[in-house]
Parts: sequence; structure tokens; C-alpha cells
Amino acid sequence: MQPGLRFSPAAGPALAALALLGLGAGLPGPAAAQDDTIVIARDNDFNTLDPSRSWCDSCQIYLTAVYDQLVRVGADNETLEPRIASGWTISEDGTRYTFTLDPDAVFSDGSPVEAKDVAFSLLRLKNLKAGASFLADGIAAIDAVDARTVAVTLTAPDPEFLGKVSSPYGAIINADLAAEHGATAGADAAETDRGEEWLLENSAGSGAYVLESYRPDDELRLAANPNYWRAAPDASAIVIREVEDAVSQMQALQSGAVDIAMQVDADTAATVSAPDVVTELVPSFNFVYVALSPGAKALEVELTRELREAVALAIDYEGVLEFTTGGAANLIASPIPPGFPGTKGLPMPKQDLARAKALLAEAGQPDGFTLIAAYPEINIYGVDLSIMMQKVQQDLAGIGVEVQLEPVTFPVWRERVGGDHIPLTAVYFAPDYYGSGQYAGYFGMIPGAGWYGRAGGDEVPGLKNAAMMALMEEVRTASPEAAVDLYHRMALEMISDRVIIPLVNPSLVLAYRKGISGMRYAVCCNLPLEELVKE
Amino acid sequence: MISGTRPLRLRPPAFLGARLPLAIGLGVILFWVLAALTVQFWPLDPPLDMVGRRLKPPSAEHWLGTDALGRDVLSRTLHGARFSIPIAVVVVAAAVALGGFLGAIAGFFGGLLGAAIMRLVDVTLAFPPILLAMAVAASLGPGLENAAIAMIVVWWPLYARLVRAQVLEVREREHVEAAVAAGAGPMRVLLRHVLPLCWTPVLVNATMDFGQVVLLAASLSFIGLGATPPTPEWGAMISDGAKYFYHWWIAFGPGMAILIVVLGFNFAGDGLRDLLDPRTE
Repeated sequence: MQPGLRFSPAAGPALAALALLGLGAGLPGPAAAQDDTIVIARDNDFNTLDPSRSWCDSCQIYLTAVYDQLVRVGADNETLEPRIASGWTISEDGTRYTFTLDPDAVFSDGSPVEAKDVAFSLLRLKNLKAGASFLADGIAAIDAVDARTVAVTLTAPDPEFLGKVSSPYGAIINADLAAEHGATAGADAAETDRGEEWLLENSAGSGAYVLESYRPDDELRLAANPNYWRAAPDASAIVIREVEDAVSQMQALQSGAVDIAMQVDADTAATVSAPDVVTELVPSFNFVYVALSPGAKALEVELTRELREAVALAIDYEGVLEFTTGGAANLIASPIPPGFPGTKGLPMPKQDLARAKALLAEAGQPDGFTLIAAYPEINIYGVDLSIMMQKVQQDLAGIGVEVQLEPVTFPVWRERVGGDHIPLTAVYFAPDYYGSGQYAGYFGMIPGAGWYGRAGGDEVPGLKNAAMMALMEEVRTASPEAAVDLYHRMALEMISDRVIIPLVNPSLVLAYRKGISGMRYAVCCNLPLEELVKE
Repeated sequence: MISGTRPLRLRPPAFLGARLPLAIGLGVILFWVLAALTVQFWPLDPPLDMVGRRLKPPSAEHWLGTDALGRDVLSRTLHGARFSIPIAVVVVAAAVALGGFLGAIAGFFGGLLGAAIMRLVDVTLAFPPILLAMAVAASLGPGLENAAIAMIVVWWPLYARLVRAQVLEVREREHVEAAVAAGAGPMRVLLRHVLPLCWTPVLVNATMDFGQVVLLAASLSFIGLGATPPTPEWGAMISDGAKYFYHWWIAFGPGMAILIVVLGFNFAGDGLRDLLDPRTE
């Protein structure tokens, strides 16, 4: 921004917006960030605060601040470190994990964390059959060997089991307290559990913070856990205030109303300079992708692999990065983001219009076809999906494929993508733990995988990828080194499926006021709140 | 005027009299109608293509800068007339036709039918117009056609009420009684002797409502219920601009376009009223 133009930037959109709706910006008042309370501005996507039912980016932040997991991924975003479990052993066949619990670990009410709590929490995650339940699907049984030793038996070896329990959803809940308030963990938990209501107003964890209050669409307030069993966090309280868009978040940060703005995009960060505000770009594992669904009912042509390949080859990948983030992003080869096992040396996507047109001609569609593209109208990780899809629309027009854009709300999108499926859509993914298996299990064309269903895998002959299934089976018993190669091959299979076409691996903007430290991108949970320090 | 809103009703200063505002208003309207009809042939950058670097402020090359996709904001603003002006014409015409017809029936014949029509009008007008338009548009799905339908639903009762009031007054006049006494049928009386005397307030209101419809259409697009991307519709463009708040020029062009259009129609409407019906002020 030019220094001399400070008045006018606000004038255009503000006047227009006021003229349109007669609304003022509902910004929080200044000077809210006082003493050692850290105030964060964030557009939250909480579906609930119940650890075993939650499934969202904001949930990851909450569940790692208020609860502990058996293990947690370290600051290198890769190595697993002890948390509630001070140590663990794995049986030779890889199906039995025995965890020794840290004798110091206590819940926020002072009671010790015991084997029964671990069993209750992980079984409840599995049996509630909620968003993150797939992480616990492989658990056959959990035995409390003694109060401080717990053994988890798996139905089949799973080299990523530790990664899965390190995810925020592996939160260990105070079983007695939760059960007292209606929570259950048995096989019928999906029907009998009544714990959510209480867990929306109270926490039952052993993490650095406890839940003080939660008002949806307003704020989440955390207070330091007085009985925390590890080094006490620096801030006595953390407030996550609901601030919807990047611009409002940045303004709240500039005015001093908040200390941290979590979803500022690279364009906004680049245009704002304020002496008290620090913005830095750090790499992340998050990515935004488009997906083609051959099983979508609204398709006018049969979306064969050749046609999907043509669509993928028509996209100007470098241009998408430029137009969505001003270049503050990386290309991404496969649905397994760079940095995860097996991604070294994957071929980067490239536009090839000649080949794309040739494929269309071979498939009998030389003049192209029409694709309906419904997508959630959101800005995620600094990428505005509407802008991204307009770029994709332009690129596909280059080979004669007409894209009809239909921006919809997230709930509508969720319903459509799961119901009649959407021919072409766009959405995002952030990892839950460090491990490539989560991507194979979500994006692979294998029965049971999330996108296999959304792509209409069961109805479309030939969509099921047998090679992928064999690789998934093989990786169960592979050594870590061999697994890297197997994941590499899985990535290649997912590229060749041409159902998921990853577009943008955006850098994350860390925006905060001077005097705040401990800001980093964590693979588990975006931002580890317990590490934040306010001078 | 629609109840429940604070319409953007900027009025020309009194010392200008009626003719100057009318001339300014008609000039503005003429410009935008011309734009709506012929903008494709103007020497502008294509409105949907990326023609420059993204997010560039106004320059000699791009007078109103470029947006997040490197499209020329001036070109998109002028092309916006192709959507906003026709939608205003269609909505106002349909509202006048539908509302006028039902209002005339209710006013002239009265009775149960008239009461039923007017209760329907009351019920529709009981909703704040933007809420009703949002509800209808949301249930029909995004798209300018659906937004137009939603706005017709909002607007027709105003004309029904207006025309009914006129008809009630005119039908008591002596020339109407004379026509009835001379044996004219009810439809002939209504069409030949009553309605021709009702058109002045309808015309004045319709002129002003063009601007309000442009504004409501833009509002619906702004909240995602109107035009879908990449349509260069003004409300949708302002919505894009709001996401890039610090790049003020993206919303400036369409914002000014809306302001000028609304102002133009209001000037013209005020001028027309002063000219045609000096008694009302």
C-alpha cells in the first residue's frame, strides 16, 4: 500500500458495503488484549468440543491445548514424543501396543490419568462412529493391564497406529468425570452416549488449559490448568475470538484488539505494514485441491480416466499459485503433501494443452463438454476457492471444457458431495498426524476411503484401484524404509487416478503482535497454544 | 418506497428546479442503457480474461486497476451494466404489470376478490424486503434469474397498493360516472377512463425503483444469492473487493457505478414528479 493512500483503501469497499447492506463492521473493541491473556482472532469451524465427536481444524487446536494424547508429534513435525505415555512397546507381529503411563500425569481435577481413561477415550472415539472415528477403527480391544499400563490390540498391523493416537482426536478424557455426565464408550456408544452437551461447557482433560467458557460464533475462553502436570503454560488465559475474514482479523490485530490473527492471507499480509505487527510466511502441509467425480449424477459425459487426465493437463498450475496466493505457495504433486514419507521425487504437475486436447479427441469429445462445479464458498489457508475456481474455469475453457461455477455454503456442499456427488469440486485438507497413510486412506480409490465414496466408486466400473489396495495391504507389515517406497507408489497411483488434483500447498501466514513468541505451524494442530508466550 | 428499509434516496437541491435534475438523471440513464446495449463493442479489455498482473492499482493502462485474477476493473464495471440494467427493467416491468393488474382489479371491483388481493399485499409487505428477497432467492438457488424472480415477489405489492389507491380515487370522478351512465362495460371503463389517469405516480415510482432494484440485485449478489462467478455483476464484484479490502480499487468501480445509477434514477424520478405532478412534493 502507498503511504499517501491510507484513507482511500478503506473508502471504496466500505462505502460500497455500507451502501449495499447498511451494516457496519462488527469488529471487537480495542484494548481487549490485556495482561497476560492472549487473544486470538480466528474464523472457527468447530462442530463440537467433545473430543471423540469433533472433526475440524479449530478442534485440533482446542484438543491439543485442553487434552493430552498418549504421544504427541514433536517440534520437528515428525518425531513422536512421549506425552501421557512415558514409554511403549510393540509386539513382534505389530498388532499389540503396550503403553506405560506417566506417573505424574493428572487431570485438571487432580485425579491421576489411568489405563481405564485411555481405554474409555479410545474406545469412545471408535464407537461413536463420528468424523475422526476412522483413526481408531483398527482397535480390536484395549486392556488395562494395571492402573499405569494399557495394552491396545489391533485387528491387523498398522505402522501408523502411533501417529493416529498422536492426533488431537486421540485425546484422553477423564473417564469417571465424563461417564458421570452421560458419556459412554461401549459398542453401542453411538446410541447411548449423552456426553456431548456437558463436554461443550466443560473440559475433562489433562492439558495445559481448561475450558472456561464457549459461546459459538463469539468466543472460546481457556484458563491455565492449575493442576497441570508438565511445565505450566506462560499465558494465564487464552481467548479465541470469532473474527470471520482475513481483513477483519488483520484490522483487529492492527488495532491491538487481538494478539494473533490466524487466517490472514498472503495478499493481505503483504499489503499491511504496522510497526507492532509481525507477519511471516512458513511452509505448511495443508493443501487445496479440486476433485472430479465420475459417479456424479449431473455429468453429461462419462468422465473416463482419459477425460480426467485431459482436465488435469489443462490446468495452469503455476498460474493457480500466483492467482490464489500471489505466489506464496508451492506446487503439490500428489494428495500426499511434500514432506511426508514417500513424496520425494514425485513428478510435479504441468500444463500440457496439446496433450489434453489430443486426449479429448481420442475420447470422442474434441469440442469439450460441460462440467458443473459446486464448491464451498470459503477462504481457506489464504486461498479463496472462488478465485481459484474462476482460474480453473478459464484454464479448462482453453480445451473447450465449459465449467459452470456454483458457489455454495459448506453444509450444502457437504450434502451434495455425499449425495448425488459433484462433477468438479474444490476443497481442502490438513493432516491429523505425521504419516502418509491418512492420505492413502482418504484419497485412494479403495472401498471405504472418503473420496472413493464421493467419486461414486461403487457405481463406476474401473474406478477401484486394485494396485492401491495391494499397496495398502503390503504397507501394514512393511519396515519403515520399505513403507516410504510403498507410499511413493501409492502417491503415483493417486496421481494416475486423476480424481484428486491437488493445486495449492499454501504457505501459512503467522500474523501476531510484537512480544508474542512460540508461534509455529504444527502438523498435529496448526498452532500449539501451550507454547505461546506473551512478553 | 419499500417499508422497512432506509432507501438511498438522494434528492437534488430545490434550487435546481425540476428540469436540470431530470436532465442529469436522464443523461446518466442514457449512458448506462447505452452501456448495457453496446458495451461489447467498446474498446475495452475483455471482462472475463486476465489481462494484466493481479491486484494492480489504477494506472494509465488499467484506469480502475485490476482484480485478484488480473481482470480490468473498469471493463468489468462497464460490462456490469449488461446485467444490472436489464434486471432492473425486467423486475420493474413485471412488478408494474403484475402489481398494477391486481391493484386495478382490487380497486375497481373491490369485494371479496379485492380484499383477498390486498390481504396478500399486506402479508407480503409485512416482511422486510431484503429478508423476503433473500428467502425466495435462497430457496430458488443462486443465479440472476432467480434473484429477479425474488425481487418481483418483493416489488409487485407496492404497485398493487399504489394503483389500487389511484383507482379508488379516479373511479369516483364524474367522467367515470358519465361513462358508466352512458352504458360502458366495467372493463372498458377501467381501461379507457380510469387507468389512463393513474399512470403518473406509477411512472414516477417506477423510475425511482429502477435504482432500488439495481441496489437490491447487487445486495443479493453481494451475499452470494445473485450472480455467480465470473459474472461481472456489481454486487458480486464488491463482494470480491471486500475480500481484498486493502486493494480498494476492486470495489471502488462497481460501488461508484451503483451510486451513479441509483442517483441517476432518483434524479430522473424526482424531476419527473415535479414536472408531471407539481402538487406532490
